[in-house]
Amino acid sequence: MYHTGSFIRGESLIYDLDPRVKLVAAFVFSIFILWIKPAVALVSGIALLLAALAGGLSLRVIGQSIKPFWFFIALIFIVHVFFSENQGQGAAATTFLSLSFSRTGFQEGFWVIWRFFCLVVAAVLLTMTTAPSQLIAAIKYFLKPLRKLRAPVDDLAVMIMLALRLMPILLTEKERIETAQRARGYDLPHSGLVTKIKVFLRSTLKILLGVFRRADEIALAMESRNYRRGERSSLVELKLTSSDYPVIFFLLFFFFIFVAINSHFG
Amino acid sequence: MIILDDVYYKYEPEGIEALRGVSLQIRAGEHLAVIGPNGCGKTTLIRHLNVLLLPLSGTVTVGGLPAHNPKHQAVIRSQVGMVFQNPDHQIVGMTVEEDIAFGPENLCLPTSEIKARVAEALSRVGISGLARRNTENLSGGEKRLVAIAGVLAMRPRFIALDEPTAFLDPAAAQRVVDIIEKLHSEGVGIIHITHNMAEAALAQRVVVMREGRIVLDGRPTEVFARADLLKHMGLQLPQITELLLEMKEAGFPVRTDIVGMRAALEQITALIGRKQD
Repeated sequence: MYHTGSFIRGESLIYDLDPRVKLVAAFVFSIFILWIKPAVALVSGIALLLAALAGGLSLRVIGQSIKPFWFFIALIFIVHVFFSENQGQGAAATTFLSLSFSRTGFQEGFWVIWRFFCLVVAAVLLTMTTAPSQLIAAIKYFLKPLRKLRAPVDDLAVMIMLALRLMPILLTEKERIETAQRARGYDLPHSGLVTKIKVFLRSTLKILLGVFRRADEIALAMESRNYRRGERSSLVELKLTSSDYPVIFFLLFFFFIFVAINSHFG
Repeated sequence: MIILDDVYYKYEPEGIEALRGVSLQIRAGEHLAVIGPNGCGKTTLIRHLNVLLLPLSGTVTVGGLPAHNPKHQAVIRSQVGMVFQNPDHQIVGMTVEEDIAFGPENLCLPTSEIKARVAEALSRVGISGLARRNTENLSGGEKRLVAIAGVLAMRPRFIALDEPTAFLDPAAAQRVVDIIEKLHSEGVGIIHITHNMAEAALAQRVVVMREGRIVLDGRPTEVFARADLLKHMGLQLPQITELLLEMKEAGFPVRTDIVGMRAALEQITALIGRKQD
């Protein structure tokens, strides 16, 4: 089962790219997709989807990565359909249960969720094809100038690493507590709201206590391995290779082409 | 050499006196087992060796460097590696190689050196094939080996292990014991906390702790010869020693200062007057 944002080992041109190139491309694309005209957003999104498929992302994985956002996507769409500011500017509004909606509202809703979908695909493409350590190294690389301002860049990188490491442990802990509760006769799905809230609060408290205890132990273990705040070196060596340059050129070329088309439409 | 001189430590705010005047010398390359009932101060003791704790009174010196001096603490932590009881509390990397690299990264070593040390540590504990595996998907035994490799990557002169075989199945536990023996044969000093007396019997020296004090210190044969005291403390003897004691009680003329399987076998076969080919 794929969890949104997890890294999946694989092989493709996108996997081999320098993480800095991928990070910048994802960042620029995310701004670009929110800024450009709808028609250009459609073409850019299709281009991204094709790149994602070529890069090893299957439609199933894309579907799974979007799954946690369905409710959010539906809400955005409904809000645009019924409460669009431009209601009535396009085709005549239709009234349903005293709420009016129009084609303009539908169109706006569609473009917003399309852009949102493109953002998720770009993020998934980045995180699925880049090992966390590579991603952290890339973030650290771009934040390096902040060291001069005494920003704790290396500490931030360690914090991200620990957060990624602890996330599955927390989920396991949650499952363990839920199983223990079921084993002792809790029938959550069929219990009342008050019981559900009580059980939720009790579980959350237990998980939080466990997290603090574990955080203490991990801090001690890190200290025992000579961890101190400040500069650290890294196992990951970032080096642009010959396969990165054509991709950088290709991305820049398409970026300027799309900017030009976008200006033309404006 | 590690020297503890009259070390006293109390946990606050509980006020639990964990170490009460502990003095101990551990030679380079020595294999020392620390045994004792729960709460006797074993873990507190080894946490002093890695400067995770500093004595409230008394001194700890590692390789001539006093642990109290903050300037020496990084060097001491590199010299005395620490393997925690629960590897899940020690492993910080997403993948095995990332976790093993954590220590060398903290030493600010160049990437090429970190890679060399990771490869070396993996090979020393025999898990080179796990380098790219996600640490979350490892078995309990594999996690222990990763924790040991993570410490070895710092190239320590001593390794302190806190119950490294706890909660492992016999095969995984034996694998960890074999690695410990191998590291000792390579010259790494071992400080091994254990409740398993057969493991303690493999050490060159056994220290028995009780209520924050060292009550026995000697070769395994000397320590396990004090069966009454150990049993009074709620500790078990190695099964071999137990067997020989039972035989002696039953009237057989056997020596009871034996902890090894081979020596015990020789005793018993000599007694029954025949040897198997």
